Amino acid sequence: MKKGWPISIAKLILSLCLMMQGMFASSQVERPKLSAQFDSLPIENALLTIENQTNYRFYYDKTAFDTTKVSLNANNISISDALESILVNTGLNYSIDVSEKNVFITKGLLVQTTLPSNFYKSDTVQNQSSAVESAMLFKPGSDDKEVILLGRGDESGVNRVTISGTVRDEKTGEPIISASVYIQNPNIGVITDQFGTFTIMLPKGRHTLNVQSIGMEDIERQILVKGESSLNIVMQSRILTLRNVIISTQKTNNIRNTQLGVQKLDIKTIKQVPVVFGEADLLRVVATMPGVKTVGEAATGLNIRGGSVDQNLMLFNDANVYNPAHFFGMFSAFNPEVVKEVEVFKSSVPAKYGGRLSSVVNITGREGNKKNFAGSAGIGLLTSRLTLEGPIIKDKSSFIVAGRSTYANWLLNLLPDQYKNSKADFYDANLLLNHEFNKNNTVYLTGYLSNDRFNLNSDTFFHYKNFNYNLKWKHTFNNRLYSLINIGQDKYEYKITSERNPVNAYALSFNVRQSYFNAHFNYFINSKHTLEYGLNTLLYKLLPGDYVPVGSESLAAPLHMPFEQALESALYISDRFNITKDLTLDAGIRYSMFNYLGPYEVNNYPQGVPKRVENMTGTTIYAKNKIIHTYHGPEIRIGIRQMLSNTMSLKAGYNSLRQYIHMLSNTAAMAPTDIWKLSDPNISPQFGDQFSLGLYKNLKSNTIELSVEGYYKRIKDYLDFKSGAILVLNSHIETEVAKTQGTAYGIEFLAKKLTGKLNGWVGYTYSRILLKADQAETGEFLNNGKIYPANYDKPHDLTLVSNYRFSHRFSTSFNATYSTGRPITLPIGKFRYAEGERTLYGPRNGHRIPDYFRMDFSMNIEGNHKVHQRTHNSWTIGIYNLTGRKNPYSVYYVSENGVINGYKLSIFGSAIPFVNFNIRF
Amino acid sequence: MKRVLPIIAFLPVLFAGCKEMYDPGIINPETGYLVVEGFINSGSEPTSISLSRTTKLTENIFSKPELNASVTVEGDDNKSFSLVSTSPGIYSSAQPLTLNTAVQYRLKINTANGNEYVSAYSSIKHSPVIDSITWKRENGGVQIYVNNHDDNPNEKSYYRWTFQEIWEIRSTYLSNLKYETNTSGNPVRVIYKYPDQSPDYSMYYCWQNSRSANILLGSTERLSQNVIYLPITHIQQGSIKLGVLYSIEIKQHALSKNAYDFYLQMKKNTEQLGSIFDPQPSDLRGNITCTSNPGEIVIGHVEVNKEENKRIFIYNSQVPGWGYSRFCDIVSIANNERSIIENLQYMPIAPEEFNLDGSIKSFSASAGTCVDCQTRGSNIKPSFWPN
Repeated sequence: MKKGWPISIAKLILSLCLMMQGMFASSQVERPKLSAQFDSLPIENALLTIENQTNYRFYYDKTAFDTTKVSLNANNISISDALESILVNTGLNYSIDVSEKNVFITKGLLVQTTLPSNFYKSDTVQNQSSAVESAMLFKPGSDDKEVILLGRGDESGVNRVTISGTVRDEKTGEPIISASVYIQNPNIGVITDQFGTFTIMLPKGRHTLNVQSIGMEDIERQILVKGESSLNIVMQSRILTLRNVIISTQKTNNIRNTQLGVQKLDIKTIKQVPVVFGEADLLRVVATMPGVKTVGEAATGLNIRGGSVDQNLMLFNDANVYNPAHFFGMFSAFNPEVVKEVEVFKSSVPAKYGGRLSSVVNITGREGNKKNFAGSAGIGLLTSRLTLEGPIIKDKSSFIVAGRSTYANWLLNLLPDQYKNSKADFYDANLLLNHEFNKNNTVYLTGYLSNDRFNLNSDTFFHYKNFNYNLKWKHTFNNRLYSLINIGQDKYEYKITSERNPVNAYALSFNVRQSYFNAHFNYFINSKHTLEYGLNTLLYKLLPGDYVPVGSESLAAPLHMPFEQALESALYISDRFNITKDLTLDAGIRYSMFNYLGPYEVNNYPQGVPKRVENMTGTTIYAKNKIIHTYHGPEIRIGIRQMLSNTMSLKAGYNSLRQYIHMLSNTAAMAPTDIWKLSDPNISPQFGDQFSLGLYKNLKSNTIELSVEGYYKRIKDYLDFKSGAILVLNSHIETEVAKTQGTAYGIEFLAKKLTGKLNGWVGYTYSRILLKADQAETGEFLNNGKIYPANYDKPHDLTLVSNYRFSHRFSTSFNATYSTGRPITLPIGKFRYAEGERTLYGPRNGHRIPDYFRMDFSMNIEGNHKVHQRTHNSWTIGIYNLTGRKNPYSVYYVSENGVINGYKLSIFGSAIPFVNFNIRF
Repeated sequence: MKRVLPIIAFLPVLFAGCKEMYDPGIINPETGYLVVEGFINSGSEPTSISLSRTTKLTENIFSKPELNASVTVEGDDNKSFSLVSTSPGIYSSAQPLTLNTAVQYRLKINTANGNEYVSAYSSIKHSPVIDSITWKRENGGVQIYVNNHDDNPNEKSYYRWTFQEIWEIRSTYLSNLKYETNTSGNPVRVIYKYPDQSPDYSMYYCWQNSRSANILLGSTERLSQNVIYLPITHIQQGSIKLGVLYSIEIKQHALSKNAYDFYLQMKKNTEQLGSIFDPQPSDLRGNITCTSNPGEIVIGHVEVNKEENKRIFIYNSQVPGWGYSRFCDIVSIANNERSIIENLQYMPIAPEEFNLDGSIKSFSASAGTCVDCQTRGSNIKPSFWPN
């Protein structure tokens, strides 16, 4: 690719010089050659010299020339080359008319841009084969005054043309996501997608094109738009950022986007937030955003806007990772070294996503370095990690392989008694490949594996594993249409083994496997409409439980729960409609269908009686691949945005979603023993919808973003557990869960500053999530049918994340977070039973544990910043939970030797120092 | 590619997560729900039901018995047996009940406040006997197991066990002295306890006991054979329990699935909480309902049941190297009022020096718990004790 550049540049400059209204030179035209030598000659004299050698006549405005002096040393070159050479850096342009007689020299081209293109149609050269189709824009520099011609100008009757292209990093060749590509007058802008591509519709004529992205040098170039064209932009990473102000990628993105409740974090930001043991943790940082909560420190499961943890679609390069947690759920299982950024959709969920009720957490992996081999290694308290990347075919394809592994057993001695006598091992591995076959075809391969094995203070071992892979093909049909075809498989499995008691020794395994095919099309119709449409299909295969004896002495009876199978399909279409300059509507519909497939034995219950074991009237057996039950319905995704001023906008949205697979849990945190269950004739899908409204305002040339968003959300048929529910190895799970209706609402305030020496964000959320289980079908009303809060209902949440850069080599980060204590069920009385003192539990989630407050501090020390040294290293040193506050994770009452004792359990009950070392090579 | 530099991570200062006692201080709701415990005994002992009320968490009360209730066992053949109060909150039948296997029985309670409660009907259940109690030296001590089997292989069995341990203890020193007291009850000197100077064995041999406080449950639900082999209790190496002779009696109740679930939920609610992945507590539902005030919380699960017992003994000699020891120092005390008053924490053991007249000049003594085992247990030998 690099090889191609100079040629393209030459073409570019050539065509740039050749343009003027009505007169197009073509390289095919044989022009007389000339020879001339002069040095610092006034331009007028120079032109006269040329005039004398040829039969061209020059027309110019003398006043435009000022005192411009030009030089030429030409020997038998064409007139165009000669002119090009003398006019370079003068700000002058020339054009040769069709008659090849007249040459016009002008200053600037702006005057022509307003003329309709077909005005000159009759006398323009139609077949300008030298016109540049694919142009490169370089980093800002001496040549940025050149005007770049885009398109051939052969489209008559249209005033606006489509320009599409990609934005890449000059050094690594990686695409740059979320770069802003915009012109200012009129104000038109787009953001690059996950492949770094963009499509923008511009009026014909001359514009100043701006390209901006975080950590990259801004680009500002003159373009002359004549027709449809593609444009490859290469950005250079900014090394010196001492006095930069204008970095924000999102610059006005937050305001212009029609989506509500979208938060985007890049890995740089994530890495500078101090977390426990210093291990950069994606999901922990996501949890600092307003509207995102966890039940506590032992849980990485996210509760987004009142949703339960299974209602998040957790995607890593389109692979759905079911349990992205390590080390008892204290760490997320995404290696920060391979992640580029994470995007959380809390409210407006694009129509291409579905299958989960409350959010999409879309994690984008990096692309490997396409130019050089590179790598990084790190060592921290918890894991050590190694990442290697590099080109496979230079500039065409690259790879990243990364792995992390732990030696964390020693840490367990430092945790509460609950972790004593425990063991934990985990690792994760990533493989990311991409290959560009040609300009229009690129494939991406993603592989993900995470593996955990631990025992928790007992002889029972838990083992769980996520394994995902997919292949994605991006095909560009033309400037306006591209497609993404994606095929892959996600697997999650766990296994529990207990071998100490030889008679009862067993192994219990569970797994869920899904194979999917997605086709997505993005069609840029015109500047008013962009269509996205496609289809998703997903085949689930779920093993609800397989219980087998271990060892020859074991009497455990094998129990093989039958496989469950289902097909979830969806068609979707959405249109981004720019109604007026300031008003944009994004309307989408997704129609999803779920077929529960045989073979299966379905429990029958008579209509209208509670689903209880005693009411079961037998079972019906269905044959293989027979459709047992079908659920289907539309999902509406609407967002509307009104610009109130250049820096302020108002957005409103309505979103509805359906979920056909459910995680069943009766533990507070997401446990590795939680099972997933497909909707079946007895368990209906969950449905949720959300209304949201937001106001966005940017200050200080878009460096400070302020927003307020409010939402109201309804959740239908969420499954909560009944008292004493048995969820594992149960062939009639519908009797153990209660259909619960939820209402969530809240208001989120966020102030964000991502540039400058001091950066970070502060967010405050007030939110509630209230549940109610009073359906007769359940047979049992949870909490007597009264409303109760979910166990992650934490109304007040105030979080500050900040970073102060003292110099390029030294920065400090500081976090502070406060939230209301989460609800728990506490005893309301005691009694004696079975020789011991027992407790009687009161209303479900009727009380709260004490409030949560924590401050963290860390220092990031970089080695020296010489660009060309062989390794770069960095240290992170910090303290988690600075005040040592014993934040409770849970409060519980136990009967110990017959006496009731209340306890408060803190996972991290003191200040925890950490250190982390990273080296890049 | 260059090699990664060897890096040393330095250890952080030790830190600790923690579990600490907690009292939210706010939980004082109205309480006082009826608690019914016991079973309709189809065995050869009388039926005994205990009634009590729940109390507030903060109340320092052992149990609040429900008095003046009328309790009857009703059969669906309209026969009934009434139970009478034998001690506060305990209602018993005078004789073992003669129950008919073809009849279902339930418990009916009328409380003094006029409410009526009934349990669900249940019938006499097949109750396998305990085959054996076995023990193994493992996990730093002795682990005791219960074993049984049910010949009906198609039937899944559910059990609850309780146990009572009893063990012999001995004082470190055998004493033949006692204090002589003056009229105001203060010791003034030591004298022989018995005229023949023989030691007092009533302070030497004693028995301690303890009962199971945790709910012990087991089932064959997931087993291919109807066989139980489950740990019941564990005795730490060096424990006093096996210092001389130890005995455990295990009582077994065969339960219905419902009763098993009830006890399991109670166990989950009160014994298995607080760990990271333990289930959250929730309501407890038994099989008793209030007929006069539906919806009122009643705690308890009563069904027709039979108790199966088995006892074993373990001698200290069966656990070589058990290592129980008790440190007791000996002091020498002059046999006069002043030095005796100064050393009142000691009990006399034996004379050390004699006066010329043969009376005791000084005596050896040790802490009370080293001389009189009654400070730690009862000196009444159980009738079944073998030695």
